[in-house]
Amino acid sequence: MRGKGGKNMKISKIKIIEKGKIKDLLKEASQEWDVYVPQKFSDGDVWMDQLPEDRQLLDDALENVMLEDADTVISPKDIFFPQLETMLKFKDDKILETPEFSQKLIFGIRSCDLKGILFTDDFYSRNFEDIYYKSRMQNRLIVVIGCLKPPRSSCFCTSANTGPFAEEGFDLQLVDSGNSYFVETGSKKGQEFIDMHKKFFIESDENFDMTVKEIKIKAYDSIELKVDFQEALNLMTQDSFIPEDSYRRISERCIYCGGCLYVCPTCTCFNVFDNFNGKDKEGERLRNWDACVFEGYTREASGHNPRKEKWLRTARRYEHKLKFDYKLTGMSGCVGCGRCLSSCPVNIGMSEFIQEITEKRKIM
Amino acid sequence: MKNEYFPFPAIIEDIKTETVDTKTFRVCFTDKALADSFNYQQGQFMELSLPGAGEAPISISSSPSRKGFLEFTIRAAGKVTKSIHMLKKGDHIYLRGPYGNFFPFEEIIGKNIYFVAGGIGLAPLRSLINLVMDNRSSFRHIKILYGARTPDELCFKNELEQWKTIPDTEVWLTVDKAGAGWSGRVGVVTELWKDTHIDPTDAVSIVCGPPIMIKFAAEKLEESGFKDKDIFMTLERYMKCGIGKCGHCNIDDKFICKDGPVFTYEQIKSFRTKEHIF
Repeated sequence: MRGKGGKNMKISKIKIIEKGKIKDLLKEASQEWDVYVPQKFSDGDVWMDQLPEDRQLLDDALENVMLEDADTVISPKDIFFPQLETMLKFKDDKILETPEFSQKLIFGIRSCDLKGILFTDDFYSRNFEDIYYKSRMQNRLIVVIGCLKPPRSSCFCTSANTGPFAEEGFDLQLVDSGNSYFVETGSKKGQEFIDMHKKFFIESDENFDMTVKEIKIKAYDSIELKVDFQEALNLMTQDSFIPEDSYRRISERCIYCGGCLYVCPTCTCFNVFDNFNGKDKEGERLRNWDACVFEGYTREASGHNPRKEKWLRTARRYEHKLKFDYKLTGMSGCVGCGRCLSSCPVNIGMSEFIQEITEKRKIM
Repeated sequence: MKNEYFPFPAIIEDIKTETVDTKTFRVCFTDKALADSFNYQQGQFMELSLPGAGEAPISISSSPSRKGFLEFTIRAAGKVTKSIHMLKKGDHIYLRGPYGNFFPFEEIIGKNIYFVAGGIGLAPLRSLINLVMDNRSSFRHIKILYGARTPDELCFKNELEQWKTIPDTEVWLTVDKAGAGWSGRVGVVTELWKDTHIDPTDAVSIVCGPPIMIKFAAEKLEESGFKDKDIFMTLERYMKCGIGKCGHCNIDDKFICKDGPVFTYEQIKSFRTKEHIF
């Protein structure tokens, strides 16, 4: 919401951390946590990646940490729901479980991605609970960094009401003020983290409420792409609203690569398969990301495919996000991160779909 | 926290060949406590797996009224089911579940029941049929209308004969293509409507088969006066996890694995999607 601060903070006075101290903080924290932070790689892409344990590698990685303007290629959902993950191991007629419980510090994610995480948390916690996701999310601390300007020109968080600053669900939130960050505390866990690493944080008696508010308003105004998100949800949740013509036109351009769904913070579908090494009598059951736009996603062993035509898969993709997720949970399955558009080889995105249905004109 | 994806070993106690590509496996959990405490309902399915080959959702074809074992009637169609077909008596198979909703039982006590099945679609229905047979006096007239592509592809041949001998129970068979030695009816299952009276009074119908058969059977039942809410069907859909997570079997806001696989025709008609459910 415009210019508002976090509502569940006010635990203590606002803290400040100088930007120059961030690397030292991450280095200290990495002794206790698996630290995930955006890092710029040699090809120029920014990935939310884990800091290495090895001291030399750690120092190198810290040099590549990128907090501001970081446009991470994929959402951070893969920290809890990896692209490929072992579920079970088979060895000598025994089946071993492989959940993973490490303590994770997720440092420097965007408010839209936080919303995505909260969304997938809810999905995987619903009956039946998914032990692999749940175990990975159990011990985590999330530090959001608000966006002063949109990392992607396709961002539309102010329309989706997910940014550019988070209002809840974070443990700490950084507000960029030039040479330092104001640090908002969103939870007891966040406060404990500050207490644990006191030496990096400054406490000021000055009241910075107005300064923070101004930063947030300016950030809010920097998001240029606006769409009528609520109207799109209102339309889509009407049973009778099926924009078949739009789906069909998108299906003529879409190459069904699934990229938009891989980068999407709320896509949770997966495939399950086994690998087996007959010689060593060893194998594993794995799952990897899957996408509803693939032809084989719904093809049955008999050959029958309920979504044989491409446009039906396109319909599923948009209706799952905007119709059924919202209907079921009250949460939209789109968080306005704009990655679907920025990653699409043929320039199709959720924002354009929303514009098309709400403005009632052909855009795509 | 329970790991819902963790499968438990069971031993194959018996294998019965139903057709050229279909076998019924009788299995029992190796853990005695699990075997004793295990319960399921008619029409539910389980995830069967062979470590290394993979996992597949298979409906339970035995009746919950017959304790101490589970039966799965499996057609060798894909990688997992073909691997299962290679197994022998005494081999292990791994199970998790049961999953999904189930056919009504108490709700249909005192009614006439029409079972309409095609091919291996009789497998999930057999669970309810035998449950009904074990409580025969609680139900009125029963008709089983069953079709297959060829006489060889009729499953549960002995039971079809045996059900016929039960009072107030009729079994009507048909095949798409007759072969040598078949003197019975020829035609799709809805052709049986010409031979036997289908009366919707105080009746429910339970349908399973290939998508196209379900479609025509449901339309025919409706035409005969059945209310949509009295036509139950169990749907097939590509599934992976069986617990509403992997996403493959979703239709609208429902998961076939969790909210189904049993739906009434009324529910199916309420789906907004234009996908080919049948």
